[in-house]
Amino acid sequence: MTITTTIRPPADALLTTRDPIVEPIVVTEDLWKLYHAGKVEVPALRGINFKVMPGEFVSVMGPSGCGKSSLLYVLGGLARASRGRVLVNGNDLTAMGDAERTKLRRDKIGFVFQRFNLLPTLDARGNIAIAQHIHGHGFDAKRFEAITQMLGLTGRLKHRPSEMSGGEQQRVAIARAIINDPKIILADEPTGNLDTQNSEIVLSMLSKLNKDLGQTIVMITHNPEAAAYSSRVVHMRDGVIVDAAPAS
Amino acid sequence: MIRQLVVNNVLHRPIRTVVSILAVGVEVALVILIVGLTSGLLQETAKRIEGIGADIMLQPPSASVFLAFSGAPMPIKIADKLREMKYVQAVAPVLLQFSSSNGVDIVYGIDPKSFRDVSSGFVFLEGHDMQGPDDVLMDDWEAKAKHIAVNDTFRMLDHDFHVAGIVEHGKGARLFVPLATLQDLSGSREKASVFFMKCTNTEYTQAVMDEMRPVFPGYEIRPLKDFLSLMTATNLPGLNAFIKSMIVLAVSVGFLVILLSMYTTVIERTRDIGVLKSLGASKAYIIRGLLGESALICLIGIGVGIAMSYVTRAAFQSSFPTLSILITPEWIVRSALIALAGGLLGASYPAWLASRKDAIEALSYD
Repeated sequence: MTITTTIRPPADALLTTRDPIVEPIVVTEDLWKLYHAGKVEVPALRGINFKVMPGEFVSVMGPSGCGKSSLLYVLGGLARASRGRVLVNGNDLTAMGDAERTKLRRDKIGFVFQRFNLLPTLDARGNIAIAQHIHGHGFDAKRFEAITQMLGLTGRLKHRPSEMSGGEQQRVAIARAIINDPKIILADEPTGNLDTQNSEIVLSMLSKLNKDLGQTIVMITHNPEAAAYSSRVVHMRDGVIVDAAPAS
Repeated sequence: MIRQLVVNNVLHRPIRTVVSILAVGVEVALVILIVGLTSGLLQETAKRIEGIGADIMLQPPSASVFLAFSGAPMPIKIADKLREMKYVQAVAPVLLQFSSSNGVDIVYGIDPKSFRDVSSGFVFLEGHDMQGPDDVLMDDWEAKAKHIAVNDTFRMLDHDFHVAGIVEHGKGARLFVPLATLQDLSGSREKASVFFMKCTNTEYTQAVMDEMRPVFPGYEIRPLKDFLSLMTATNLPGLNAFIKSMIVLAVSVGFLVILLSMYTTVIERTRDIGVLKSLGASKAYIIRGLLGESALICLIGIGVGIAMSYVTRAAFQSSFPTLSILITPEWIVRSALIALAGGLLGASYPAWLASRKDAIEALSYD
């Protein structure tokens, strides 16, 4: 089943177009993020300049503590930038208050986490539907059915997270992330807790979302094999981007 | 959807939920029963006094509407003066005495004939009227509660009485002894605590009262038809304060249990709160969810509390038939609102804490 209402141009088409109106969906300019450990300032991001075009699938790689997750949280509006600018779909997150960033997250961003982060008291259906409820546009049964079918969850909707495998849980998390048709998916080590087989399934799903539906994805990963599913890989070290290259 | 989340969350920790529900239930039951017990006793006493059938009651100056609080400072000869008044059909002097020999009782010392003239007499279920100085009449509730039968010996006021008859309840007191005997036992010879008067026609009540006022200046002269409305907690010194104190105590229990329960809930669900925030849930959404849980617990607790009140009342009345507990819809609603408000207040602080949690810290919470 296709989701006709949400199909966007594939990434390649967008990247090769000569139409000058195509703007990056994510832009960071001299982005800094400082954490405070007592009286000591610890910089997690040190002047990141980064762009993501609509329909791109970008992997961010780097060693632990290099600032990958901090970058993701700032892009997702979960954390406030200490300095610099962050634009998501034209919205300057650094100029936004907490409530505005919450609204932006609700409307434009979908998160996928390493630990799935499903609500344990809800079944798969509830975990997906709650995102629609928070979004405030009510339950869209047609879209719900299309997405759960596409992710192979139709038979597992009445199961709670504790009754599902890691792969199934992550597919529910992906369904939850895309149910409101976000502009961008931010995935933080989505295969970090999965075995090889389930990792491949989840990555294939993300890749399919990107290729078939033009879904923009920024994925944090340690795993080069996972990064290979993306169209571009960005390497980070010590809070800065050291290298950006097309994925092999 | 939020309803489903609320219900599932409440069911997620059944023991904590049951404890919280019971706490709210106890709170509601306490309020209903304390108020019910006080107002029940007052109303039942008032109904019994109304049940005498008199039209007017004369008490000494500054006497309380609660008859047992008054002593016996009136000369019994007042009765003769009252009988001479126009439209007065009968006058019954009554001496009241507290007895704590077999629980707390108020004993009426009566002159059987004059009391019968005012009250149209007792309805005897067993036995007969008082004939000797040591005879006692007991109402059926008292006899049932104390397991007393006719011809038993009943000791009170350091005196052995012979149970002459069991009468139907509702004629002022539960225990009646001869007036002269009670006067002797209480050292109140030729004294009475109250005079009950019957008019030739109820319509003359006001006229008789008007005639009495200049003759008995300062005395409390009350029409019996208004007696029920006078027997309220507000007329009994300290009772209102007691009821309020008990309500505050009950509400505090509910408030603290809900506060603790929701606080532990918020800590336990820190990660879930982070997830909701990552999905774009507003602070209001998170607060609404937690207050919804508290409200659900309170509503179930209110139902349990109301049921507990009726069960407790039935248990009490089976063990203590003389105990009257009045459960009114008004106080059921009031106790429910009090419990709901207390519960929501108790959940407010944890909900506020949850709404202010840092999303990233919450998501990394283990």
